Amino acid sequence: MSNTESSDSLITTDVETGSNEQTATTDRTAVAARDLNVFYGDEQAIDDVSMEIPEKRVTALIGPSGCGKSTFLRCINRMNDMIEVCRVEGDVEFGGKNVYDSDVDPVALRRKIGMVFQKPNPFPKSIRDNVAYGLKIQGYDGDVDERVEKSLKGAALWDEVKDQLDSSGLDLSGGQQQRLCIARAIAPDPEVILMDEPTSALDPVAASKIEDLIDDLAEEYTVIIVTHNMQQAARISDRTAVFLTGGRLVEYDDTTKIFEDPEEQRVEDYITGKFG
Amino acid sequence: MATDNANAGGFGEVSRLRGVVFEYLSLGASVAGLVALGVLLVYVTIDAFDLANASPEWLLTYFLTLVVPFLAFCLYSANDPTVTRRALGALGGGLVAVAALFTAIEAFVAQIPRLSWQLAYLFVVATPVTAYLAYVGSRGRVGAVGFGLMGRLVGGAALGLAVGTLFLVFDPLVWFLAYTLGVVPAVALYAYGARRSAPRAVAAAIPVGLVGVVVAVVLRGVVTTYPSDLIIYAWTLAVPIAIAGWRVVADRGSRAAAVAAGGVPLAVAVAGGFLAGGFGVPGPTALIVLVTVGVPTAVYVHRAIDEGDGVVGLALPVLLVGGALVGALVVEAWGVPAPDPWLDAGYVTESPSSTAIEAGLYPAIVGSVIIIALVAVLSFVLGVGTSVFLEEYMPESGVLGSLTRLLQVNIANLAAIPSVVYGLLGLGLFANLLGFGLGTAVTASLTLSLLILPITIISAQEAIRSVPDDLRRGSDAMGATRWQTTKNVVLPEAFPGILTGTILALGRAIGETAPLLMIGAATTVFSAPDSLFSRFSAMPMQIYAWANFPQAEFRYGVVAAGVITLLIILIGMNGTAILLRNRAERGN
Repeated sequence: MSNTESSDSLITTDVETGSNEQTATTDRTAVAARDLNVFYGDEQAIDDVSMEIPEKRVTALIGPSGCGKSTFLRCINRMNDMIEVCRVEGDVEFGGKNVYDSDVDPVALRRKIGMVFQKPNPFPKSIRDNVAYGLKIQGYDGDVDERVEKSLKGAALWDEVKDQLDSSGLDLSGGQQQRLCIARAIAPDPEVILMDEPTSALDPVAASKIEDLIDDLAEEYTVIIVTHNMQQAARISDRTAVFLTGGRLVEYDDTTKIFEDPEEQRVEDYITGKFG
Repeated sequence: MATDNANAGGFGEVSRLRGVVFEYLSLGASVAGLVALGVLLVYVTIDAFDLANASPEWLLTYFLTLVVPFLAFCLYSANDPTVTRRALGALGGGLVAVAALFTAIEAFVAQIPRLSWQLAYLFVVATPVTAYLAYVGSRGRVGAVGFGLMGRLVGGAALGLAVGTLFLVFDPLVWFLAYTLGVVPAVALYAYGARRSAPRAVAAAIPVGLVGVVVAVVLRGVVTTYPSDLIIYAWTLAVPIAIAGWRVVADRGSRAAAVAAGGVPLAVAVAGGFLAGGFGVPGPTALIVLVTVGVPTAVYVHRAIDEGDGVVGLALPVLLVGGALVGALVVEAWGVPAPDPWLDAGYVTESPSSTAIEAGLYPAIVGSVIIIALVAVLSFVLGVGTSVFLEEYMPESGVLGSLTRLLQVNIANLAAIPSVVYGLLGLGLFANLLGFGLGTAVTASLTLSLLILPITIISAQEAIRSVPDDLRRGSDAMGATRWQTTKNVVLPEAFPGILTGTILALGRAIGETAPLLMIGAATTVFSAPDSLFSRFSAMPMQIYAWANFPQAEFRYGVVAAGVITLLIILIGMNGTAILLRNRAERGN
């Protein structure tokens, strides 16, 4: 049963890859997964996922809770290494290199990939120190203040905090904290930014600010965002991947295609809210 | 009304009896302990300051010249009519109540030894009201400024005395060389690197400093002529502290004031150091104390004046000192009998003696301060190191995980081992096997460090565990190594909690007697230790020895004075640590 289902999804993916190639002529691939399987102990969290994520585009990962989309995200910068029972099979390519190769230093890898979490987690330090954190640990020897300003501007936070750079990052509102985390993530100038439900802990106004910001970020960075919010995925992403239970990638295509005319009945059911 | 009753009846009633009984039992249990301790402390205080012999006139004089102005200051700062009314009500009502109750008990129940109703009023009513008003007053701007200034005066003096005490044991000449050859070049390099943004100079600062210190230790055996102690302390302590004060004020933007804030205390301290000898006060100590008091005070006064709010509060020290002087004059002129306190200047500066009048605690105080300083450093470093290793580096599962859990259980058990056993360990390991000697400061410090290490480790682990994992993951995702995450995120966030645990543990160490007896510490020594390997005594040891003396003056007066001294030093130490912790918390 599960075999037929997984082969179904494989076929679908193959079809998608076919349609991908039209866009792929203009888009280079930033991150690619090949036959990726992830297990937590005996539990399989990701089942044979292969997908290519285009550079400088927003790619949304949607699906019901527990479908493995966050796990997939954390495979890209190897944050799953922190979970002791987690086991990864298959390849995740970033910049043409499998990040799970033995000669890859996960710490060095994470310096090229920024990450924003579900709950804003600024450090209990000043706003300036928060943004400069990545620069500091990487031993950046240029003009830190200039980079801090540029990153805060990039995160659309500069105008609100430019007079209080020395006050604590925890004094900001939730939405501002999340933008501070985005500024922190882009300060060391990564190539990819991973976002794990970045707006789910925020009120709608703050969330819409972040959404606008994500649009701008895609001009310079590859953004991969996990979201529970279907409208959000439809609004901000160029490509959408739908994961369904068991960690299977069911459909992956241009966002408009997914939301207007999905190939799979299950995807349509999920998007219209009949299940999930 | 009728409908209310009907409603109340309609819902029925839920019995709260058991909850209420439990509540009052808990309250009673906590109050009983506090009252018992309070009564003990009252009697110890009365004995230490010989208050039983204080005439009512003497008490009244100081109450009027010292306590009342202080209360007025607090009320002025609080500036709240309700508080004023409540305080006056408590003072007045308390007077009547205590007097009546006291007389009634004496008349009908029993005589209360060594206590008059005036003293009872002082302890039961005046002290709590003063404490409450001080608290309320400190929240007003004027009070905050006043207490801030007092804190700097008292704290600076305590710090200066502690530093002076440590130099009795640690060789100031090594420090002089290490400072000149190691610290100064390192700081200069760092400052140069930071200003010109030359990271290579900043990175070189620490190695250069270390090399300097090593060279200093080597040179100590070679160089034979040194400047006098006064010049050494002026150069190695007074000058850098004055420069720090100058920098702080200069950062606020006024050059002239900055020079004054650094220069005036420096000049006063150096002058005081040279003149102190004429008054029978050791010059180096005078210099250190003057500079640790003067510079922070000058910086603080400048800030208070700069902010311009509550400047009146700066008069608080004048008010208190003036009150004490006026009180003394009145008592002198009036000729009322004054108490002769056991705890006076002679008690804390002189050696033990076989006569109660001449007995002093000085060597034991020095011994305790040195031991505590060493224990604080050792247990903090070892405790934080172990807890970071256990929490951040050891895996939670697998063979190593089981090992971690085994270690955890054993550390928890170590905390429950009687201190006498640690004394035995210290005797066998440090005194005999490693040859640090019986009853030396090193042996005692190492033993006490081991004794409190489990407590320090467990509380530091708790503090580290309470740092949210979000922060660790956030730092990891930025590409920080484990060490960078620990150093930059986990430790700063856990620091206040770690400090709390260390404070509690140190409080236990300073009062320990049993392990000191086991390692052969002397109960009484007649001169302060002059090196880490000289025999020493600690305050609890000396108090214990005096408590066994046959003369009643020792058992009551001298012991009580010792207990009060011990408590004051303990509270001062804890207070400093708590201030540090609060500052760290606010820094977050």
